[in-house]
Amino acid sequence: MVPRYLERLAGVLVDYSTGVREGDLVCIDTGPAAAPLVREIWRHVLEAGGHPHLRLDVDGAPELLLREGSDEQLAWVSPLRREEVQRSDVRIAIEAEVNTRANSRVHPERQARAERARDALRRIHFARVSSGDLRYVVTLFPTPAAAQDAEMSLSEYENFVIRAGLLDRDDPRGEWEALGRAYAGLATRLDARKEIRVVGDGTDLSLGVEGRKWIPCAGRENFPDGEVFTGPIETKVDGTIRFTYPAGYAGRRIGGVELEFRAGEVVRARADEGEEFLREMLAVDEGARRAGEFSFGLNEAVSEFTGHTLFDEKIGGTVHLALGASYPESGGKVESALHWDFVCDLRNGSEVYADGELIYRDGRFLDGLL
Amino acid sequence: MTDPRIERLAALLTDYSLALRAGQVLRIDSLDAGSPLVLSLYEAALRAGALPYTNVDLPGLTESLLQLGSDEQLTYLSPIQWQEIEELDALVTIWSEANTRALSRVEPDRHAAYIAAQRKLSNRRWQRISAGEMSWCGTLFPTNAHAQEAEMSLAEYEDFVYAACHVHEKDPASHWRAVSTELQRRAAELGSVRELRIVGPDTDLRLGVDGRSWLAADGRYNMPDGEVFTSPVETETEGEIRYTFPAVYHGREVEDVRLRFEEGRVVAAEAARGNAYLQSLLEMDAGARVLGEAAFGLNYEIDRFTRNILFDEKIGGTMHFALGSGFPETGSENTSGLHWDMICDLRSEGEVYADGELIWKEGRFLAEPALEVVESGVRGS
Repeated sequence: MVPRYLERLAGVLVDYSTGVREGDLVCIDTGPAAAPLVREIWRHVLEAGGHPHLRLDVDGAPELLLREGSDEQLAWVSPLRREEVQRSDVRIAIEAEVNTRANSRVHPERQARAERARDALRRIHFARVSSGDLRYVVTLFPTPAAAQDAEMSLSEYENFVIRAGLLDRDDPRGEWEALGRAYAGLATRLDARKEIRVVGDGTDLSLGVEGRKWIPCAGRENFPDGEVFTGPIETKVDGTIRFTYPAGYAGRRIGGVELEFRAGEVVRARADEGEEFLREMLAVDEGARRAGEFSFGLNEAVSEFTGHTLFDEKIGGTVHLALGASYPESGGKVESALHWDFVCDLRNGSEVYADGELIYRDGRFLDGLL
Repeated sequence: MTDPRIERLAALLTDYSLALRAGQVLRIDSLDAGSPLVLSLYEAALRAGALPYTNVDLPGLTESLLQLGSDEQLTYLSPIQWQEIEELDALVTIWSEANTRALSRVEPDRHAAYIAAQRKLSNRRWQRISAGEMSWCGTLFPTNAHAQEAEMSLAEYEDFVYAACHVHEKDPASHWRAVSTELQRRAAELGSVRELRIVGPDTDLRLGVDGRSWLAADGRYNMPDGEVFTSPVETETEGEIRYTFPAVYHGREVEDVRLRFEEGRVVAAEAARGNAYLQSLLEMDAGARVLGEAAFGLNYEIDRFTRNILFDEKIGGTMHFALGSGFPETGSENTSGLHWDMICDLRSEGEVYADGELIWKEGRFLAEPALEVVESGVRGS
């Protein structure tokens, strides 16, 4: 990424997304590939009066643990990780993978074990974010590996990332604030609804959302962003959904996923690619079989599938559903070590109804809603 | 493909230096340039059943803190850092700079404030190390920056570093166990000496070492290693010494240092280059004019000066004498903010006498150490 955009991205993350203030302990969580962005963020944090703290995973170490680790080693959480989650005022996570498929050959059962080990930390993290003690944002630094997943050159991919974050606009922060207001309006209108029904190719799914809160997302916790989500009622998800795009998770890719829900629980799951891993993840714990999140992707600057959830779930004209943990701020009550998003493209004649009324068609809300 | 020497170094660190056991928490500190060794070490630790994690830094961040940080930011130590120290069973520091002179232009006062704050953490770490609650070893992963400092190509420097660690051979641990035995014997033998006299070009120095313990540096705290050292009696150093190699302190070089001691204290000092810096360091505090360490460098794989104290102080055939703080475990009473190792090459003309008897000539002890093995001090098996 050219320095001008790195600088802008760092500025937005530190000043807008996480609002770093004097005295904040700011944990920057990433891999070595993101070094150019880390330096910019580090500088911005210092200028904002914060205390930057770097948490860098060496490329290859997580794979080694999954490959070589004993059960005890897989289940262990380092004091550094724990203290970071408990003590940071701000966490800025930057995904910067050098190989998005490095874990493809790890036994799924071992990965499930490692997921469970991190559950306690994840709970603390979610609780602190929810209560406002911890401000958190996750972003992505464009690497050749991510470009490869997107089937782009690195420079094409960088441009995609820049556009998706509105970093090519004169005032990215102002743009995100304006979007935030629009999303908040949509969220308020959705808050009044009891049931959402999604109808499309291979998909007819109803979700109970009465009393749940829809949360507008405009670049605070994800960057780039662009969605409005809620946590469906745990016992009121029924029907079938077929996801359009492959879903990456923990260094693997699973494609052609189809789920059938009854009374909130997955009763049938299949995948064209990676079905064994899907089953193993569904068995991680009780909550892994439930939908913790349902969301509308609203970022019009992201229009194509690039193989990375952070972007794919924001594609304007899609919805996504996550298996596993819900975000407490939405009123969702699913607890799980898992949170795995699957994206469904609705720009192909699909429809969404709210309490029986058509509100969305072909990937867009009907007039006046957004 | 991984250089097999890196894997051997990793195994040597976990098995020999740290004697890492199952269930022990190990932190691996490095700059990102050290990643190949970090990974090998991580793997070796996993195989040993330990609980390793990495703490990797990027070049440029400390620099930016030193440039931009407020006084509060410069001296800030996070609760994360304090808590971590208490939970470590073992720590490895891998030095692997991308630019050894990156901090040359930082304001000295700000740098000093930063170092002083960091020292609070390292003091606590040393407390735990001395109490036997944790182990520590410092080593180096060869980078172009270090090679450049040593005036070698990276490939030459790698050969140099790995030979110094003896990981160019198949079973480095058995080499270091043999070194340990020999150094322990040598240290035990030197323990009965009352006075050392060092004679060389422009050098005739007498040190009182009566009652002081000599210790073997055998690869536990440093890799490579290879010295025996003590802290001389504070009031008995007499005579003159001329240091052949540049003396480096915090990245600044002072060349051709000559010191004259009377009753343990430096009474005259001059340097061909960097004399002002030398004089200012001698004024640091009362202990700065007193020798805190005298040591024999005994690693003969290290045969040249490379501007890195990890190697230089162990050059086989040299001695080093440090101005400033001594080692309490040897019986030393000297305290100072300074500990400045200066190295004296004795390979071509040097002689060392112990209580009047010639024991060392042209960089070598004349006799093998006596066979009094101090078994308890030998790391084992």
